[in-house]
Amino acid sequence: MTVEVAIQQALNGISFGALLFILAAGLSLIFGMMDVINLAHGAFYMLGAYIALAAVQRTGNFWLALVLAPLLVGALGLIIEPLLLRRLRGRHLDQVLLTIGISLVIVDLVGLVAGREIRSIPFPAGLDRSVPIIGGDYPVYRLFVIAFGILLAALFAFIHRRSRLGALIRAGVDDAPMLAALGVDIDRVFATTFAAGAALAAIAGVIAAPVFGVFPGMDVDALIYSLIVVVVGGLGTLSGAIAGGALVGPADTFGKVLFPQFALALIFAIVAFVLLLRPTGLLGRVRIAR
Amino acid sequence: MSDRSNRLTRRKFLVASGAAALAAACGPSATPGASASAAATASAAATAGKALKIGVLLPFTKVYAELGNSMKRSTELYLKQAGGKLANRPVTAIYEDEANDPAVGLQKTQKFIEQDNVDLMMGIVATPIAYAVRGAVDSAKMIFIETNAGGNALTRDIANCTPSCKSKYIFRSSFSSWQISSPIGDYFATKKGVKEAFTFVADYGFGTESAADFTQSFTKGGGKVTGSLKAPLGSADFLPFVTQLKNQPTKDIYSFFSGTDAINYIKAWNQLGMPAAGYRMNGAGFLTEQDVLKEVKDLANGAVTSLFWAVTLDNAENKAFVDAYQKEYNLLPDVFAVQQWDGLKAVDLALQATKGDTSNKDAFITALEGVKFKSPRGDFEFDKTTHNPIQDMYIREVKVQSGQAVNVIVDKIARVTDPGKPTT
Repeated sequence: MTVEVAIQQALNGISFGALLFILAAGLSLIFGMMDVINLAHGAFYMLGAYIALAAVQRTGNFWLALVLAPLLVGALGLIIEPLLLRRLRGRHLDQVLLTIGISLVIVDLVGLVAGREIRSIPFPAGLDRSVPIIGGDYPVYRLFVIAFGILLAALFAFIHRRSRLGALIRAGVDDAPMLAALGVDIDRVFATTFAAGAALAAIAGVIAAPVFGVFPGMDVDALIYSLIVVVVGGLGTLSGAIAGGALVGPADTFGKVLFPQFALALIFAIVAFVLLLRPTGLLGRVRIAR
Repeated sequence: MSDRSNRLTRRKFLVASGAAALAAACGPSATPGASASAAATASAAATAGKALKIGVLLPFTKVYAELGNSMKRSTELYLKQAGGKLANRPVTAIYEDEANDPAVGLQKTQKFIEQDNVDLMMGIVATPIAYAVRGAVDSAKMIFIETNAGGNALTRDIANCTPSCKSKYIFRSSFSSWQISSPIGDYFATKKGVKEAFTFVADYGFGTESAADFTQSFTKGGGKVTGSLKAPLGSADFLPFVTQLKNQPTKDIYSFFSGTDAINYIKAWNQLGMPAAGYRMNGAGFLTEQDVLKEVKDLANGAVTSLFWAVTLDNAENKAFVDAYQKEYNLLPDVFAVQQWDGLKAVDLALQATKGDTSNKDAFITALEGVKFKSPRGDFEFDKTTHNPIQDMYIREVKVQSGQAVNVIVDKIARVTDPGKPTT
């Protein structure tokens, strides 16, 4: 592999990693705050992609889809949390089962409404070209994905550290019952968190749709990748999702190119290795069982 | 004492009931052939006019759901046109979902054989499922028309029958992967004058088979395969692979991908400006079938592929088929619909030849072997030794005509017949 190819593949890996970060951020947020492993995450991702497909088909506007999908899926999250999830608070296994049930319902409804054909969304106008970069032409859309991932991470970091919401989240992750005792409406915080996590999954669905396509079964692929990322990076922290994406994206890309037979094995080898050395993931925190 | 005797009786009871349950569980499955053949002889005399049960095993969930739906639509259209009867026997089609899972496929096959007592079986999209049910179908002497899966082994003589091999009870109305991969290799080398090619296929049985068949015939025709690359099935991100393709000098790329993989591959191909850099995309026909073309549109422009059918194929049967399908469903039929259609047509004609009798298996097999008809794809008949179709292969090029990307037929390779045994 020449230097130019290596640079291009590194960019491919970074852009894939950025996408994985966007995908995993919502899952990580919900777990960190609510202690819920949301297995409906892939279904929210799929729903976001299908909303984007419908919006692009009708208006031809990708950016509208990028706004609409998280709003709608976020609203759904805002309904699901108080209606279903809240009743099972603290019952982890039941919550996991519930989110599996939610995902099955969403996926089947999507299939019923949108059909089971494989679909795709064209790259948004202006981002469908390539630009010369070190080592050859590089697709603009991938650069956009990298930039979007960095921007989202920066925005998160800002909210997390500087805003009242961030303070609530940090306090909630540490000790939710204490936060409630201090007079914070914890129900509202949880509902908002769940909605935000769902909206993030939808954003990932929209961003990924032009690259990966829109098809039945996409929810499972997304869920597996996001679980890998949060397990490697560390569940429940923003920096964990970033670290996970940054490690898994390039590893997956170079693995596919250099040892295609072992690409999948490589990813799980990384998971196993990280868990051996750091059972909580690269940047995971030790959680106190409550 | 009474307690002790009580315990003993309970234990005895458990042993006895356990044995009974075991016998009940093993009983029916241990003697399927016997009961099936007894039922067959009993009904042999009064077959005509009696209901014909067809077990149709298709994927209605997971990634291949739309293929299953298409084949179901085709089945229903055929039966509707036939007035619900084949050779004067009213037809009941029993649909089951194979869920793209060999274990589920085998279980549903056993249900068809043991519970439903179907007269014949059709369907199965994925090759691993076809291989998984081969043994059950063969030992139950169940006539099975495979209407999609193209794995070579299903209609070949294979040592130890691993992973699969032909059966006198299995017919295939679709294709073998050799048929859609090997002729185009020869065509490229001898007719198109291509000197060098590079293969890039999906890393699973079918893709590997396709690359090997292409490489063999292309090399035999005087060409040279300069290298190969494989992408895991459902790779999602194709940019790393296309980056590798662009950084090697051979311009003609032979590919096998289908569905979502094909769409993502073609999009990545264009994003990296492969056409402008002089690279040419070629492959087995599924790379540019309608499900893919309607999503990628002009991005696949110029791709050359081989398949036994195209929606644009100009013959009377195809026109009638496409019109009828469109009228019924307001949709263009796809190649999967054609395969299912031809499977039913073959069954229909064979039934007419036996006057509706399916109980004499050997007579029905002989009738199927003798079937010859004009299909939407052209002349159709089964190869008597393999039960795989003998069919024309079309070389198609994607062109944009009045704003629509279509496969335009540029050449034809007549009567392509699978070799019926491993070629290496």
